[in-house]
Amino acid sequence: MIKEIALIGIVAITTYGGSKSAFALDVPISAEVTGSCVISVETNGTYGQPNAYKLSTSSSDGGQQPITRVDVTLANAYKVKFTAPDSFSSSPVLNDVVTFTGDTEVSAVSDATNMADYETDKVEVDMSDEYSLTATGSTWFKHSSTASNGGDRAFPSGNYTAYVVAECIAI
Amino acid sequence: MYRYLILFLALSANAHQMSPTYPELKSSYLEGLSVTRVRVFNKRKDVEYYQIGVFDKDMKPIPFVSQYDLRGIKYHNYAEFTIYINDKYKKDAVYICSESMLTNVESSAVASKICSKIK
Repeated sequence: MIKEIALIGIVAITTYGGSKSAFALDVPISAEVTGSCVISVETNGTYGQPNAYKLSTSSSDGGQQPITRVDVTLANAYKVKFTAPDSFSSSPVLNDVVTFTGDTEVSAVSDATNMADYETDKVEVDMSDEYSLTATGSTWFKHSSTASNGGDRAFPSGNYTAYVVAECIAI
Repeated sequence: MYRYLILFLALSANAHQMSPTYPELKSSYLEGLSVTRVRVFNKRKDVEYYQIGVFDKDMKPIPFVSQYDLRGIKYHNYAEFTIYINDKYKKDAVYICSESMLTNVESSAVASKICSKIK
């Protein structure tokens, strides 16, 4: 009798245990969080033509300044560098030397406290502007570019394209 | 009067992402070669190809081997690059960079480049 009771108990425990494991599933949700940099193109840019020999992204010249956004998930891990165009990547045949100017400035930040110095601390070298990204979050950068044709001669008709190089470099 | 419509940048919310920030070179199963992996996420509709490169501290190219150094990555897709570096170049290798290849410059005008730093 005692043996039978013990056997029933063992069977019951085994069955209960088996039922539990059958109905309780562990569903894993895994993630590997690693730092990264994301460069996004937020706003299109266009050149306006205030006169025959100048192309400009300034709104007062009829252009539109492009805006890029850079997101970083680690503080003090990246610097970002923007280089304004110093030539056209495509254009009609040009017989005159074209002079380019360009600049980048911070237009918005996601963390006003920790990103407040980004613009004042930037390093400008020739056509490049370099920023140290000391805080996590998003920073929006506004770019400007002008192209002036030599001798104030009119640009030939056609389509012109130039591009900004955006680099996000781990430090 | 000349009339121009010149695209300078195009397409909003286009993004290029690369991780990890600090990839680690490890010994590979091939003698004399170290290996690491980086992942590139293409959220740029205007970019179909990304080029990978290994560089020293001055951004000069370092020889490396990968199945692809130029790789097509569909929109909203990841690609993982496995990079082998000869041990004799290991100490000089500092950066691994991915760069967007602009094939349609009429509709796109931001060249994005992201560099991770080797641990």
